[in-house]
Amino acid sequence: MPKSQFINPKDVRQAGFIEFGKIPVNQYKKELAEERKNYTNDDLIRIYHDMAVIRNFEEMINSIKISNEYNGVKYNHPGPAHLGIGQEAAAVGMAYTLGVEDYIFGSHRSHAEILAKGMSAIAKLNDRELTDIMKNFQNGDTLRVVEKGFKGSVKELAHQFLIYGTMAEIFARSTGFNRGLGGSMHAFFTPFGVYPNNAIVGGSGDISVGAALYKKVNSKKGIVVCNIGDASMACGPVWEGLAFATMDQYRQLWDAAHRGGLPLILNIMNNQYGMGGQTAGETMGYGIAARIGAGVNPEMMHAERVDGYNPLAVIDAYRRKREILADGNGPVLLDVLTYRFSGHSPSDASSYRTPEEVEAWKQFDSIVTFGKELVQAKVASEAQLNEIRESIKNRITEILKVAIDADRSPQLNLNLNADPEAIGKMMLSNGSADSMEPARKPETLMPMEENPRVKQIRGKERFYLDRDGKPVSKMKMFQLRDGLFEAIIDRFYKDPTLVAYGEENRDWGGAFAVYRGLTEALPYHRLFNSPIAEGAIAGTAIGYAMCGGRALVEIMYCDFLGRCGDEVFNQMPKWQAMSGNVIKMPVVIRVSVGSKYGAQHSQDWSSLVAHIPGLKVCFPATPYDAKGLMNAALQGTDPVIFFESQRIYDVGEQFHQGGVPEGYYEIPFGEPDVKREGKDVTILTVGSTLYTALRAADELKAKYGLEAEVMDARSLVPFNYEPVLQSIRKTGRIVLASDASVRGSFLNDMAQNITQLAFDDLDAPAVVVGSRNWITPAYEQEAFFFPQKEWIIDAIHERILPLAGHKSTGNWSDTEMLRRSKMGV
Amino acid sequence: MAIPVMMPKQGQSVESCIISQWFKKKGDSVKAGDPLFSYETDKASFEEEAKVDGVLLEIFYGEGDEVPVLYNVAVIGQAGEAVDEFRSGGSAAPAAEATAPPAPATPATPSPTPVAADTKIRVSPRARAIAEKKGINLAAVKGTGPNGRIIARDVEKSPAPALPREMGVSAVPAQHTAPAAANAPAAPVAAYSDAECEVKKLTNIRKLIAKAMHESLQNSAQLTHHLSADVRKLLALREEVKKAQKADPNHPNITLNDMVCWAVIRALEKFPEANSQFLGDSIKTFKQVHLGLAVDTPRGLMVPVLRNADDLSLKGLSNKLRALAEGCRKGGIDPELLQSTAGSFTVSNLGNYGVEMFTPIINVPQVAILGVNTIIQRPADIGGGIMAFVPYIGLSLTYDHRAIDGGPATLFLKEIKTQIENFNMVI
Repeated sequence: MPKSQFINPKDVRQAGFIEFGKIPVNQYKKELAEERKNYTNDDLIRIYHDMAVIRNFEEMINSIKISNEYNGVKYNHPGPAHLGIGQEAAAVGMAYTLGVEDYIFGSHRSHAEILAKGMSAIAKLNDRELTDIMKNFQNGDTLRVVEKGFKGSVKELAHQFLIYGTMAEIFARSTGFNRGLGGSMHAFFTPFGVYPNNAIVGGSGDISVGAALYKKVNSKKGIVVCNIGDASMACGPVWEGLAFATMDQYRQLWDAAHRGGLPLILNIMNNQYGMGGQTAGETMGYGIAARIGAGVNPEMMHAERVDGYNPLAVIDAYRRKREILADGNGPVLLDVLTYRFSGHSPSDASSYRTPEEVEAWKQFDSIVTFGKELVQAKVASEAQLNEIRESIKNRITEILKVAIDADRSPQLNLNLNADPEAIGKMMLSNGSADSMEPARKPETLMPMEENPRVKQIRGKERFYLDRDGKPVSKMKMFQLRDGLFEAIIDRFYKDPTLVAYGEENRDWGGAFAVYRGLTEALPYHRLFNSPIAEGAIAGTAIGYAMCGGRALVEIMYCDFLGRCGDEVFNQMPKWQAMSGNVIKMPVVIRVSVGSKYGAQHSQDWSSLVAHIPGLKVCFPATPYDAKGLMNAALQGTDPVIFFESQRIYDVGEQFHQGGVPEGYYEIPFGEPDVKREGKDVTILTVGSTLYTALRAADELKAKYGLEAEVMDARSLVPFNYEPVLQSIRKTGRIVLASDASVRGSFLNDMAQNITQLAFDDLDAPAVVVGSRNWITPAYEQEAFFFPQKEWIIDAIHERILPLAGHKSTGNWSDTEMLRRSKMGV
Repeated sequence: MAIPVMMPKQGQSVESCIISQWFKKKGDSVKAGDPLFSYETDKASFEEEAKVDGVLLEIFYGEGDEVPVLYNVAVIGQAGEAVDEFRSGGSAAPAAEATAPPAPATPATPSPTPVAADTKIRVSPRARAIAEKKGINLAAVKGTGPNGRIIARDVEKSPAPALPREMGVSAVPAQHTAPAAANAPAAPVAAYSDAECEVKKLTNIRKLIAKAMHESLQNSAQLTHHLSADVRKLLALREEVKKAQKADPNHPNITLNDMVCWAVIRALEKFPEANSQFLGDSIKTFKQVHLGLAVDTPRGLMVPVLRNADDLSLKGLSNKLRALAEGCRKGGIDPELLQSTAGSFTVSNLGNYGVEMFTPIINVPQVAILGVNTIIQRPADIGGGIMAFVPYIGLSLTYDHRAIDGGPATLFLKEIKTQIENFNMVI
């Protein structure tokens, strides 16, 4: 909602028509003779060779899967294998023109793309560059296996390395490209520009957009290709990615140096089936997938259908589309028509298509037809091509023997006596980096000291009481939102790669005024409004981080996490480990827990994300903790779900002596904090329930003479139980409280761990107080839903330590507990 | 007039019975002598017959129900008569059964909930740890937590027992009044001016003894049987020991008490029900004798336990008992051995003080204690119609009637007497 753009009713209310232009379909008509000026004989033979390598590789895997044997070598591969036999020309054509700085993202069926892009990179890199890449990758672990006894050129070694690294990865070997933790559907190799392939259909649809965003924001060379299936065009995240990729602001609002569309080619590898569903004729309505471009922007995404059975047609398209991107007119949509002879997977009985159909497509098998053309054009003899195929077969057979050799290609040994935490060590990177690109100076619009918000905060009281011990007015008080702001603006001036976006992040300053002041400080490309597309907000941040940037994105209400479920549950937490620690994931997602707004805007879902391995989760409740944890989150290299509460954006610091420090400091993740000392009962809280617990502690003291020790968990993952156990050794009693609905609340996990760890110190079971398992009612009825101070006292009275004269406000009986569970409420 | 059919009380210890089968349905006509239903205790099954003619108007409990004894299970009367007043617990009408023993156990509560006074002890882990550290017997602690759980505060306020609970012996006779003192409020004191008396706060040990004594008496069904045993043989043997000691100072000093204890152990082997602890819902009978012996010490009364006393020879028994007593007087006794739960039976000997008869207090959860009295010369027929003065030692057995009935208790006491009278010195 930039003020600079006037929405003139006279214009927008005019009558008229939307005109669609033409979308080319298979318009490439050149004969090989016409293309001879663009390719040497070696180029053409290389195209044939690369296609033959892919065919052979996939046939080897297919043979292993269905007969446990290939060319006399026996092996059982229990894992997945989604093969692209028949799709070789599409893959090689896509990769042929791409440089190492061009990144491709893919799907579960991307062996062909890894090999094609890898071989294209090898052709373009010199021997020294190749040697460096191979030596430095995973400490040379992969290279050591393939160079043993190898005789040949560096480029030949690099081919060996590429095929072995991919194969070993598929077979879950620690010498594979991703230590065997990615496997068939996720293998990739970033030094050759091969970025993560994704087992979730459409998973790359928004992640790749983030990679293109990274290229644009940080003025990096190269384009991004998203290889995605025709059926994934049904997926929400793909549409969200399209919306994000085609925002007007790139061309209308971003500064001159960054103006222009994203350098992205959405490359639909259109094999015409989504598993067994026919996308044209059965499960989709677009007929020709390229049509989708027409609905996205006036340029129709420069969409085009290309014959993916002719490698030269695909290469031709890439040469033309690259120019469009270079002119700032991206993104581009390519519908590369292809067909797989193999099934969805080797177990596929192909019940959804006829043998005649497969046979008809085999008549146009790209390897056969392209080979014939080469022979006709006298580029190569039949014998030469036979020899190429024969030598590939021998090479792949030899590599297979090495890749399945448990001594040379061991799997990670997770046994107790070996390295039981080999995977555990990779779940989080726990890095610390001021900047993701220290050499570059951050782009800002003014010195930080001159920023109006920075100046305003300078005049605020940083503790909730003034020097005379009197409470400070809200206007003059340094609030929790100020703590967040200080950490965030500080990072913007340290890390040039840091971007922040989400809904209403720029002029509005964020829905809760955390970002107010950032608009003045930052150019558009570092702080902007996104479409209302939470999937793409999270997904693009993931792609942005995969490429080396740091992203801070906002999902306005916690409740909208469901809108980016795949990104938060499947993508962000997994890639550090699935990459074998090749990738870092410095993404912070801010989510805000609401109140007063009813059932779909008031939920604390910290438990949902705490359940997912690979995420850090925190929920600060004081300005001091908010600033310190945000600093730690933005200094780290791990994905963080950063919870905030709308109830307490305006609280002042009541606990940290001296108030919130002006300078930089970090609060380490995982450390709970005692906010009030006591000796009789521990109350451990998450989020804004801290303040409810403090009120309960006041009443316990006043009415019953009990001194409660109030602890704020601050983080959920990681979490250090030691301070809690220490508290329980003193008090012997614990209540855990948060605003999350009590069933499945992470507090139950904590309570269970505490009970195990402190059993002998406990005077009663750890008791959890949470919200009811209901919808959040209207504000006026929230006291019946969210934990109240009385509930905490009731829980102590009923389940821990009967308090003389106390009358409970609710029904805390065992029978009621059982009844609620039986009723499912 | 309608009359109720009650669950009969089969034996003193039976608190409830289970109805196994109803032979009549509600509404059936019955004649006096008709079997109405069968029921069972844990030991046997019985049938209850109708006492009067009439119609079975109502059945309150079905097959498989556990019914407290003397509860109404059904009503017999004429069609149309009201039965509600007989609903279980409403009125137990004890007079209806001439055989019903007087009073005890008849539930007074209107609640139809059968038996199951919750005898399970709930203890928080923290409270248990504190109790162990302080040597507190949890069976005697009242829990104030949820569901009566014993929680930390319940054991924190109990002082550590420097002494074990129990018992009827002390060097200072005045202390025998302790239980009363613990119970009695300060009111009577107020009738006298401070000058006329001295008020002292209870020491912790005193408080502890008071609590233990009081609880033992309050929480068990104690009564005492007295009997005497001819100790001519024992005295003769004692004389022999003394003589042998004069000749050889290393000769084991077998005392009368050692011999009595020996006899008690032998008797316990024959009556294991006395070698037991009563745990509320169960009785724990020990396979070996763990003999507690009351010992007078400067710190107060102590009852150390001699574990596996039945394994020992008389000489071994004598040595061990002496060592235990020494340990108590000098300190350094293993506190584990001072727990009332460590012993299976206790002997308290007041014979040296000339006590002729007393009622020792049981060291709960043990089920019995033997008080040993002084020796008195009594006229007795020593055979051949000749009367003579014979030395008799008094034996006072207090037992918990909840665990042991009078018959077996008496037989057990007699067995001790027999063992004493037929004592053979085997050193």
